[in-house]
Amino acid sequence: MYMNACEDTVLKVEDLKVAFHTEMGTAEVLHGLSYQLKKGKVLAVVGESGCGKTVHALSLLNLLPSGGKVTSGRIYFKDQNILALSAQELRKLRGARISMIFQDPMTSLNPIRSVGKQLTETILAHRSCSALRAQAMAIRLLKKVGIPQARERMKEYPFQFSGGQRQRIMIAMALCLHPDILIADEPTTALDVTIQAQILKLIKELQIQNQMSAVFITHNLSIVADVADEVLVLYGGHEVEKAPVQELFAHPLHPYTQGLLRSLVSVDQKQDKLPAIEGYPPAAGQSMSGCPFAPRCPKACAKCHESLPPIFIQDGHEVRCWLMEEKA
Amino acid sequence: MTRYIVRRLLLLPLVVLGVTFLLFLLTQRLSPEMRASLYIKDPRQMGAMEEVITKYGLRDHVFKQYGRWLGSALKGDLGYSHSANMPVATAIKEYLPATVQLALVTIVLVLFFGVWLGTLSAVKKDRWQDVLARFVSVGGFSLPIFVLGLLLLMLFYGKLGWFPPRGYSVMTDVTIHGPNFHAYTGFLLIDALLNGNLRVFLDVLRHLLLPAFTLCIGSFALMVRVMRSSMLEELGKDYVRTARAKGLPERAVIYRHAGKNAIIPVITLASIQFIRLLGGTVIVETIFDYPGIGRFGVTAAQQLDIAGIMGFSLMVAVLFVLGNLLSDILYTAVDPRIKLSE
Repeated sequence: MYMNACEDTVLKVEDLKVAFHTEMGTAEVLHGLSYQLKKGKVLAVVGESGCGKTVHALSLLNLLPSGGKVTSGRIYFKDQNILALSAQELRKLRGARISMIFQDPMTSLNPIRSVGKQLTETILAHRSCSALRAQAMAIRLLKKVGIPQARERMKEYPFQFSGGQRQRIMIAMALCLHPDILIADEPTTALDVTIQAQILKLIKELQIQNQMSAVFITHNLSIVADVADEVLVLYGGHEVEKAPVQELFAHPLHPYTQGLLRSLVSVDQKQDKLPAIEGYPPAAGQSMSGCPFAPRCPKACAKCHESLPPIFIQDGHEVRCWLMEEKA
Repeated sequence: MTRYIVRRLLLLPLVVLGVTFLLFLLTQRLSPEMRASLYIKDPRQMGAMEEVITKYGLRDHVFKQYGRWLGSALKGDLGYSHSANMPVATAIKEYLPATVQLALVTIVLVLFFGVWLGTLSAVKKDRWQDVLARFVSVGGFSLPIFVLGLLLLMLFYGKLGWFPPRGYSVMTDVTIHGPNFHAYTGFLLIDALLNGNLRVFLDVLRHLLLPAFTLCIGSFALMVRVMRSSMLEELGKDYVRTARAKGLPERAVIYRHAGKNAIIPVITLASIQFIRLLGGTVIVETIFDYPGIGRFGVTAAQQLDIAGIMGFSLMVAVLFVLGNLLSDILYTAVDPRIKLSE
């Protein structure tokens, strides 16, 4: 086996643009996203609602809802361009090499199909093994994700499980074929805070055990610190900052990231009022010539409103902000 | 589940009592003389009118008369139908299986075309398959059933001679009333198979297909619409996305996942349509001269055959309750969230 630097990269996204066709015209929601994900690493994609993070996740497996379309760019899984795959090749990738967990475990499982069947069918869709063996695998997985009495509960239906348990089942389903990449789209948003921590811990454990890479999508910066190796901050369909997790928390360079970090609640400091970022993010498809954050940015100057800043790179810390131009 | 079924079956007598008593009250609008005259065929015997009234107690209190009817009905005697020239119970036994057979074949056709075209329509939304399916179903729905029936009869019998009317051929008539043919169930299709007589089976099927197809065209449009919208709703749900993300083949996503969820409202519609078919295939039975129960009911009504009308409505009430019970049971088979307990 030959080794080189690229061998380590399991996912490479280049200039990904996604647009939605609506009755009011075409709206571009992702304006050229690029990043690389290395084996065994976790990339957190952070942003407000509507910044394009879920759309980006869905396009990784070509699961965009009707009307949505990748208009340009390439997504490489190892050396395969996912966007150029046939339906059959793509099917083989989905769930086996790249798996996905969704936000709402209440609706993400088929309500009238037993949990056991939903698990085994995933295995049987990719492996040629007996139904009995798939069943044994599924039971083992359910135990692993912490469902008690797994064997008996295989026959039960999603409505007989709690929200946290359903998300555990989703995780079991996503990991049953030891994928190379797990895409987790806000996996804890719909759950209680106490359950959130358990689920996060479970995902992290399994990620390390399986030496899996993960793209972790969230709007919650506070959970990022525990999970991620690297953080990508999205705003209005643009990457605004990307850095290793400690670096980002220690030295946030983009005013948006700084705002986000300031608005985190801290137990150590006494605060009268929670600092928030004033204003609203741009609507999807709204055409802007300048930096998308400029209207809300406390440090914006004339140039920010006129043209979109490029990405400035400094020791592996990427920032899309004109303020960096002077420093560079 | 068993408790639920028992409770629903306990409801059956109530529904039957309600329906038959209301109908009985209606017949009381006719004076005893009018009702008595129905039994007197010969004008020269008009003098016997008073005798008939006393004999049948037509002047008694309505409850007493109804009690009498109910008492004999419970013993299996539904009276004599003068429009069919046989006891009502015999008429029902004779004509009902043919209609049930027709309704069953029809509902199978309706379900097949409805679910298939509805799914196709949803999956290929706004493409030519969708437009065609909608056009065909609305077209069938808009065409009056007597026009369609006559057109089909003209084409497939008059011109091509493929599908003749009238239940079964003379050959079959001779066979089934012959000594070697046992009527196990009264359903000719099943009896023919049980007797191992393929010729009778095919003959009955051949006579059944055209009326069944006519009925199907008239009622599958609604099924296509319901299946289409239900399927479209399901296809947009999160679990369908999960199924795709798991790497299931598209066929499995559509049929095994979305389809099974989408068919739930279709079951309600199908059972309503089935019950309606059992009581109301009158027009088609008349056009195709099909020996079914609908024709019996209409003739009884036209000729003021009170015993016939009462017997017919009793039968419809029973079928209605049983049909609804059946659809409830079907629900639990499809949707595990529904439990027939309380």
